[in-house]
Order: sequence, then structure tokens, then C-alpha cells
Amino acid sequence: MVMKKLFDHGEPSYEQVNQDVIKSLIETGPKYWMLLATTVGITVVCFIVPWMYQIHMGVGVAGMNRNAVWGTYLSNFIFWIGLSHSGTLLSAVLHITQSDWRKSIYRSAEAMTLFSLMVAATFVMVHVGRLWFIHWSFPIPNPMGLWPNFRSPIMFDVMAITTYLTASSIFIYMGSVPDFAAVRDYSSGLRRRIYTVLSFGWRGTSKEWHTLGWAYTFFAVLVIPLAVSVHSIVSWDFALSTVPGLHQTIFAPYFVCGAIYSGTAGIVTVMYCLRRFLGFERYIGKIHVDYLGKLLIALSMIWTYINIMELFTGWYSGSSAEIEFLKFRLFGFYAPMYWEMILFCAFVPLLMLFKSVRLNWNRMLVISILINIGMLSERFIIVSTSLPRKLLPDSYGFYFPSPAEISITVGSFAMFATLFLIFIKVFPAVSIYEVKETLNPLRRAEKT
Amino acid sequence: MDITGTFQYEEDAISAAQGLHAAGIKNVSLMSPIPMHAAEKALGLGKSNVRKFTLIGAILGGLGGFSMCVATALVFIMPTGGRAIIALPPYLLITYETTILIGVLSTLVGFFLVAKLPAWKNRPYRVEANVNRFVVAVESPSSNEVKKAEQIIRGAGALGIEQTGGTL
Repeated sequence: MVMKKLFDHGEPSYEQVNQDVIKSLIETGPKYWMLLATTVGITVVCFIVPWMYQIHMGVGVAGMNRNAVWGTYLSNFIFWIGLSHSGTLLSAVLHITQSDWRKSIYRSAEAMTLFSLMVAATFVMVHVGRLWFIHWSFPIPNPMGLWPNFRSPIMFDVMAITTYLTASSIFIYMGSVPDFAAVRDYSSGLRRRIYTVLSFGWRGTSKEWHTLGWAYTFFAVLVIPLAVSVHSIVSWDFALSTVPGLHQTIFAPYFVCGAIYSGTAGIVTVMYCLRRFLGFERYIGKIHVDYLGKLLIALSMIWTYINIMELFTGWYSGSSAEIEFLKFRLFGFYAPMYWEMILFCAFVPLLMLFKSVRLNWNRMLVISILINIGMLSERFIIVSTSLPRKLLPDSYGFYFPSPAEISITVGSFAMFATLFLIFIKVFPAVSIYEVKETLNPLRRAEKT
Repeated sequence: MDITGTFQYEEDAISAAQGLHAAGIKNVSLMSPIPMHAAEKALGLGKSNVRKFTLIGAILGGLGGFSMCVATALVFIMPTGGRAIIALPPYLLITYETTILIGVLSTLVGFFLVAKLPAWKNRPYRVEANVNRFVVAVESPSSNEVKKAEQIIRGAGALGIEQTGGTL
């Protein structure tokens, strides 16, 4: 097997890796602050203010109504949960399979997971309306003496997302401990004190590495099935109902595949930004975009197949309710969005079959963004074309997002960007020690 | 007082650490910028005890999750269409999640206990160990061990030896 080059511009030295990564943390120019101020501003104006307005006025300011009881908040929740899937899952799978190309991209991919999950969890809080009762959904004692019903798919969600958020946070943090120590050694003053605490006093002894290696592998092994379970469980929020278009056995693999698909596209977008704005061209190169591109092609084909199957089973059932739902989805008000989704997620990715497209970061950025626009549409269509077409015509309705919902959707992207911008100044965005592991080893045998 | 020796090559540092162990010198640590799998074997670091924490945590998590569901069902009895009060399929999902949740948390606890972290007290350390060098440190050797330790470290090909060393 021919080994592909991990570094496009030659292998850096060990010192170079420390300097490059730590420089991205401690050297902060005015452009960064302007960008951060912009994303914070958009988050406040587009997300926080409308949400506060909704809390003040009631959830009626959203477009959800008696027949379409779920709307954009729920579809955004699925989108962000989906986006969270590839980071930790891909990182864990590639760790277990000992793939070297993972090592320079996994930290930021895991961060994407974590922040997408946080945004997704925020959408649950926005959706429920009366935020101050959200603790009732957790199995903790409360003054009302209420206790959750564990037979409800919503409770599956609560448990799965809490577990995934906890596991993902620990996974990214533990992998960063040796790098926090590297930053500590380069810093002084308050920054040094902060990183001394964050690194737990790491010295890189054999015992510490050995223990971290075991613990990290266990985290990876535990996280892989967890990631699959989370989006399966999210799918059952829908599939365990009897609504036409939602009551489908294929929903769990459909959601998991869609999640990994949009998450992988998200990784391409994030990697482009890291290369472009943090100068990580040396560490994130052709091999990464090539492999991610191939993965996207495979996922797009699985996703397309499942979509065809979804239509086929609906049609083949012969159920008048299912056929009515299919007509509404394919030719109704939201049909243009459905066909846009098919174009962006089933046909556009085929361009990556050409190596000239796959190895070009600019083209891959455009494709990755289009895929995620398509996936956002997919989630919106799942919610907005099924609930308004339930079993009986007298329950038919219509859903269109209100300005508050549209604004909060836009704000969620700014919130994600804000969290990511903070991340790149706290965590080394590229793993220092794992990149060093891919370099020429410091062994006499290799040098002589 | 501590002794630290800095090495350019992995093999030399491992040989120094092995020599110190063979000489009966205690509190020896070998620091490196990347995991040294050869050193783990040479220093006899076999299977880590972290795995026990993971296993026990996962089992307790599973049992705890399932018990929570069953106890809830028995305290708040909700007969639904003749279905079982203790409904296994949904409870297994909760059990699965709590298995992983407590498994992960106990692995974290295991990591801290086995690696003896956090440790912010003064211990021998050199910054190069986090960049591109290997460092062998002997913590608080007795007066008759100092000379012997320095001899072993120098003999293994150390680039430099310091008696105080950098401290963390």
C-alpha cells in the first residue's frame, strides 16, 4: 500500500509544531476581535433578544400551531445534533483504527461536536417555551414531586444527549491535557497559572502517557456506539409516533447517516477556516480533504439510497395517508426546498468523484456548505411536511416559520461561530503531541 | 534536591531509566513529548488499572439506570393498553445510556487516580520534555544515590545533567 504524504509542505520539526500551534493561541490580532465582536453581536441581536421576547410573550410568537406543533426549533435541534455527529465519532473511529491522518484535524472536529451539541441543547430550551421548568425533564427531585416517564422517547433524548455532551466534553478535554502543558511551558503570568490548572500538572511521564493512552482508548470505544445511539434516539422522537412520513423503521439509519454526512461536511468547512485564518496549511493538507471528500461521496450515496427507499415504502404501502403526505412533500408548498435538498445532497457531491474537485479546498468549501444547506432543508422538511398532513383531513394544517424563528435560526450559526472562536484561543486547535507522533521518531535507530 | 538528565534519543533515555531501576534507585520518572510505547514495555507498565474503573463504572451505571426505570415504573404505576408495567425495550435504552455515562465518568476518575493527577506540587521537570527531548528525573535521591544516579545518566548518553532541575 502506498502511504500518502501527511504534510504538503514538508515535515515540520518538533519545535516547529509547538511554535505554530501555540502561536495560533497567543497571537491575537484586531481581525480576530472584530470577528468575535460581530458574532457575539449577531448572537445577541438575532438569538438572545428574540428568545427573550418569546419568553416574555409566550411561545405563540413562533409559527407553531395546533396541527403543526413542531417547527423550526425542532428541525434546528436535529440539524445541530446531526452536525455534532462526525467530530467525535470520526475521531474515535480513526483513533481505534490508528489512522495517522486524523491527528491534525481531530481536535477541531471534536470541538465542532461539542459546540453543535450545546447549540442543539439550547434549541430544546427555546422550543419548550417555559424554560424555567426544564429541570423537570431530568430525574432529579423537584418541589412538584414530578418524575420523568422513562417510556417516553423524549426521555430517551434527555438521557442520550446528556450522556453524549458529557462524554464528548471529557473526550476533547482529556486529549488536550498534554497540549495544555505545552502551552503552560510557553506562557507566563496569568495565562501560565490558568494552563497549569488546566493541565493538572502534566509532565509527560511514561506513567501519565500510559494511563492517558488506556483511558483515551476506552473513551473512544464508549463514544462510538454512543454517537450512533444518540441520533437513532433522536429519530425515534419522530418514528415512534403514528404520523405518516414519520412512522418509519428506516428513520434510525437515515438519521445516523444524515448526521455523519452533515457532520463530515461541517468538518470540511471548519478545516478550511483553520487553514485560511489560523495558517494551518502545513498541518491540514491534501490528504485530509481527499479522504474527507471520499467519505462524503460514500455517505451521499447511502443517504440518497435511504431517501429513495423512504419514498418507495411510502408509495408501496398503498396507504392513502402516506400517499397524500408524499404528494405534499414532493409537489406541495415546500417542494422547491425538497428538490433543492436532493440537488445539494444527492447530485452536487458527485462532483467530488473528480480528483480536481476533491483536492481543491475552495471547491470543497462550496460543496460542504451546499451539503449543509441541503441537510438543514432536510430537517425542516421532515418536520414541516409531515405534521400538517396527519391521518385525517380535518387535522391538516400548515406551518411557516415566524420572524422570531428565522432570526433565532440565523443567530444559532453566530452562536456556534462565537463558541468556536473562543475555542481556538483556549484549546490548541491542532493536537501538538499527536502531530509529533506522525513525525520522524526521535530514535537513534532512525537517525543513523 | 532532584536530578534531571536530558536526552536526545528515546533509546538512551530508556536505557538510563532501566539502569536506575536496576541500581535500586527509587522515584525515577521518564518524561517525553510523545507517548513512548517502547518505554512502557521496558519499564514494565503492563495493562493499566484504568480498565477496571471503566468496567466497574459501566456495570454500576447499567444496573443503576435499569433500577431507576424499574423503581419509577413500580412507584408511578401507569397501565397503558395492557402493556407490561416494566417495559424492557425502552428501559434498555436508558440502561444503555447510563452504562456509557457512568463508564465514561469512572474512566475519568480512574485516569486521575492511576496517573496521580492533578499534581500541582513541585516535582522535577524540564520544559524540553514537552518539546523534543527526553528527560530522566530522580526525585529526592539519598546522598549516596546522587553520584550513582549521575553516573548512570551520563553513561547512557545524556546531553546534560542538572542537580536542581526545573521544577513544575
